[in-house]
Amino acid sequence: MAEITVVAELTSAVWKIEAGPGTSVSAGDTIVILESMKMEIPVLAPSDGTVTAILVAEGDQITEGQAVAKLEA
Amino acid sequence: MSASPPPETPATPKPGLWQPELDELRLRESHAKRMGGADKVRRQHDAGRLTVRERIEKLADPGSFHEVGAIAGKAEYDAQGRLLELTPSNCVWGRATMDGRRVVLVGDDFTVRGGSADATIREKPLMAERMAHEFRMPIVRVIEGSGGGGSVKTIETTGRANLPGGVGGTGLFLYTTLNLSAVPVVGLGLGSVAGLGAARLASTHYSVMTKSSAMFVAGPPVVSRLGAPVTKEELGGWETQCKAGAVDHAVDTEEEAFACARRFLSYLPSSVHEVSPILPCEDDPGRRDEALMNAIPRERRRVYQMRPIIECVVDKGSFFEMGKMFGRSLITGLARLDGRAVAVMASDPFFYGGSWTADTCQKVVRFIDLAETFHLPVVYLMDCPGFMVGLEAERSATIRHGVRAMAAMNQATIPWCTIVIRNAFGVAGAAHQPAGRLSLRYAWLSARWGSLPLEGGIEAAYRADLDAAEDPAAKLAEIEDRLNLLRSPFRTAETFWVEEIIDPRETRPLLCDFARMADPLRQPTPSRLQMRP
Repeated sequence: MAEITVVAELTSAVWKIEAGPGTSVSAGDTIVILESMKMEIPVLAPSDGTVTAILVAEGDQITEGQAVAKLEA
Repeated sequence: MSASPPPETPATPKPGLWQPELDELRLRESHAKRMGGADKVRRQHDAGRLTVRERIEKLADPGSFHEVGAIAGKAEYDAQGRLLELTPSNCVWGRATMDGRRVVLVGDDFTVRGGSADATIREKPLMAERMAHEFRMPIVRVIEGSGGGGSVKTIETTGRANLPGGVGGTGLFLYTTLNLSAVPVVGLGLGSVAGLGAARLASTHYSVMTKSSAMFVAGPPVVSRLGAPVTKEELGGWETQCKAGAVDHAVDTEEEAFACARRFLSYLPSSVHEVSPILPCEDDPGRRDEALMNAIPRERRRVYQMRPIIECVVDKGSFFEMGKMFGRSLITGLARLDGRAVAVMASDPFFYGGSWTADTCQKVVRFIDLAETFHLPVVYLMDCPGFMVGLEAERSATIRHGVRAMAAMNQATIPWCTIVIRNAFGVAGAAHQPAGRLSLRYAWLSARWGSLPLEGGIEAAYRADLDAAEDPAAKLAEIEDRLNLLRSPFRTAETFWVEEIIDPRETRPLLCDFARMADPLRQPTPSRLQMRP
């Protein structure tokens, strides 16, 4: 079991939390949806695992490289 | 590794008249092949790195390396004037072939004085650059250490401080600049690369570093004296440098770096005086991929993966991405269409919806300049909602970098074809064809465009109507519905404001046709452009 920090790859606003703590996800599943330039940009699970924490809230302004979730893989 | 044995000489029936001199030549060569000595070579290997001679051996086609100046170095003699030891210069260079094509290879020997200037003999790397330039051959620089740059030790060994460039010492910079407009230049950073080494790595058309390497203007000892201590990796590791766009690509092993150099060169001519070879194409130029019909979501706010679309339309397996981690809203790389090398730009909506940031614009300039220099037609798969907006975008001078990217496009003379995949908005929306020159353009069924997106655009243009309305929200929706009815791309085509809307499955056949149409336009005459790094 390894803990993975999932980061946002762009400066944007958090639009929607798709997979809250406790959700099990497969690689490529959407964890959080960001909004930038009117587009919905998903943050994808880098591997199979369980979301252990969401580190942002809907509406938050976040910057590139900021951690948005923790995943137990 | 133990010291290499002296090179085998063909068995001669009897010693010739000049045998003693030949023996001395071979002796000196055997000294040179020991590089910095067994201990230093072992340290290089223990750190997981190859020696400069092993690197050159692996880059070159087997047996093709012809070295120049192998026995230049510093010698020690006994009281009778007999050679005791020869420490070679830490620049190893010569010519070779890579995939059958002549190239110049020049490498730093880190086992000799860490690759720094006091052991280089400055004419060696300079002559390598000149040979590439004057004999019109690509050059691959294998860089480690300070790349022949200074060390403060030089103050003691020469008894004076060096004004960089000095008098008549700017030759290397002359050729590192000239070569960008003359021959393909590849840089491989394999180890710690600093100072002049970093400059030689960055001043290339394509650069690769291994993930265990680091590149910086000055390393941690210098930087730590000025502030907080940093590690080599934080300061100049691959994540720092590839994201910053100073290095194009990072790989795990040196062998992968060599493969990248080969692959990059395969798309380019040997110099600006030639055009890229046309290779036989095994992929059907008429292939129509059904997946393209469903590639773009109908929901306008939803993003999609652009890379599979690129793979779908170019010759199978031919896409070679460059600069993946920098300016990520635009994907750039080389590919083939019906066997012809082309430069591909494609938006990535996962990054700012495909908007051009200041970084993206810098990436565009360098990439178009590369295409122009080597006569490569450009294909642009466009989904660009505009230049990036917002405070951060203004602070990074997005608009100036943007018009610079447009200028690069407008100054280019290479054949151009744009496919409007989805968005084309604002000034950046116009940045899809060279101004004043006829280029090919097709719009997918999913394409849409405008001077400004409706969202926010309505509030700006219909302010008075909205302010006067009893229910501004309802008014906004009403205006939006009205405008949406009018902005079907078919209405644009009706007035010939766009010339062709296509079934996306036709993209590959049309792009291959463009590549063939471009054949007579690919002129092996040097571009007027003087490319900058």
